[in-house]
Amino acid sequence: MITPEKIKVLYIDDEQNNLVGFKATFRFDYTIFIAQNTEKAYEVLKAHTDIRVILSDQRMPDKTGAQFFEEMREQYPDPVRMLITGYTDVESVIDAINKGHIFRYIKKPWTDIDIKGAIEEGNKFYISNSLLAVKNKELQSAYDELGKFAYSITHDMRGPLLSVLGALELAKGIDSLPEIREILGMMDEAVKKLDEFIKNTHEYYNLKRGKLDFEAIDFKNVVDDVAALFRITGRMQEVKFTANIEQNDIFISDEISIKIILSNLFSNAFKYQRKNASDKFVEVNIEVKDGDAVIIVKDNGIGIHENHINNIFTMFYRATSEQTGSGFGLYNVKDALNKLNGTIEVTSVVNEGTVFKVIIPGKPNDAK
Amino acid sequence: MTPNKKLHFIVIDDSKLDCFIAEKIIKNTGKSESIRSFLQAKEAIEFIASAPPPEDNSHTIILVDIQMPIMNGFEFVEAFESLPQKITANYTIYVISSSINENDIYKLKNYPSVRQFLNKPLTSNNLALLIG
Repeated sequence: MITPEKIKVLYIDDEQNNLVGFKATFRFDYTIFIAQNTEKAYEVLKAHTDIRVILSDQRMPDKTGAQFFEEMREQYPDPVRMLITGYTDVESVIDAINKGHIFRYIKKPWTDIDIKGAIEEGNKFYISNSLLAVKNKELQSAYDELGKFAYSITHDMRGPLLSVLGALELAKGIDSLPEIREILGMMDEAVKKLDEFIKNTHEYYNLKRGKLDFEAIDFKNVVDDVAALFRITGRMQEVKFTANIEQNDIFISDEISIKIILSNLFSNAFKYQRKNASDKFVEVNIEVKDGDAVIIVKDNGIGIHENHINNIFTMFYRATSEQTGSGFGLYNVKDALNKLNGTIEVTSVVNEGTVFKVIIPGKPNDAK
Repeated sequence: MTPNKKLHFIVIDDSKLDCFIAEKIIKNTGKSESIRSFLQAKEAIEFIASAPPPEDNSHTIILVDIQMPIMNGFEFVEAFESLPQKITANYTIYVISSSINENDIYKLKNYPSVRQFLNKPLTSNNLALLIG
């Protein structure tokens, strides 16, 4: 267990004796910074952005504590502000409280208990505020994603549907059977594209909402399962598929995430082949070693141009108009890997092929 | 559109099926001199920029999709508008998309070269309205 870091506190007072006394009293409980004037206080704040509580004397020669708080909070809104003052300054204190410049005031002469209590309370307030800020940020990014998602849905789901609708309309006026067949073939593609998009959406939500379920992974079975999907859909026709799996140790991870990673990488490798090549292949090498699984998926397909390679993991980004991509697959791969603390690297040469290298750390067995 | 002009068509859409549908519908009008389809907007821009000057009394209609990888419809229109005026004068752009996003449709109003926005799917009826 790591001892929590001491709360950082800044104390401002124009009387040197007060500063020394304050620091001497509280230095064991908190990390104390002191400043004899507000200029010095700004220097401290600039250097230590993680100061949580600021206590200031009200009566100082250059400006009052309340004035200082009022002006500093714009630049440093996070620290909790407290004013130390005698009874005579009541009016200015009330004003400062009402304007929201200070969290509380401590009256002079203070006791150790007053100060400690105030710092602890202030710290709690600081923590809940920063948690709120983190949550707000998360919420904002969820909203942004939802907006992007809704926009894309209209295109990626409506697009193929409208294509089919247009084709149906057209086919009604055509008598030639070969032409009808040609249109049917293209409708088939559009429907498959729509289906793929829906499947990927499902995966996306599984990843976002789903909990990880850690269990022992047998890579041979997993690869067989995933490869079977492609065999059924006929994607493997004309493409030589080889899998080399070396697993001697137990590997604990989340099977659904691993399947999502493999099926998307396989899908791309089968999909983005060069049309007229005669030696098409997809090769997967998996090695479980030193607690990590290293997965390499290699193909000799169309490759990815260097201009696009940095964007391929972005949601809805598509680097090619070849084939039926949803712009979702590699985003899901990356998302799954983030959850498993895994990494992915890609190297690719246009018209020669692409290699994806994935490293997934296994979960320690005893932590199960 | 002056009826006696010779009409050429350029279709730009990343969906093969949509290109195919557009080509068929255009052909069925019997009013097209030529039809060219591009799956990538970039190729279309290159084609337009380097095309030989058109013969007199001919005009080209461009049907372009919005959401396409690499170069989307907006980027295409921007690239088109940066071409010399003596080239662009020979073309009329119609944007045809599955988008029902108001922002997309509103954004199109900022492009002087875009004549009109059309909803997918393209049908012979709404094409007939365009070319009269």
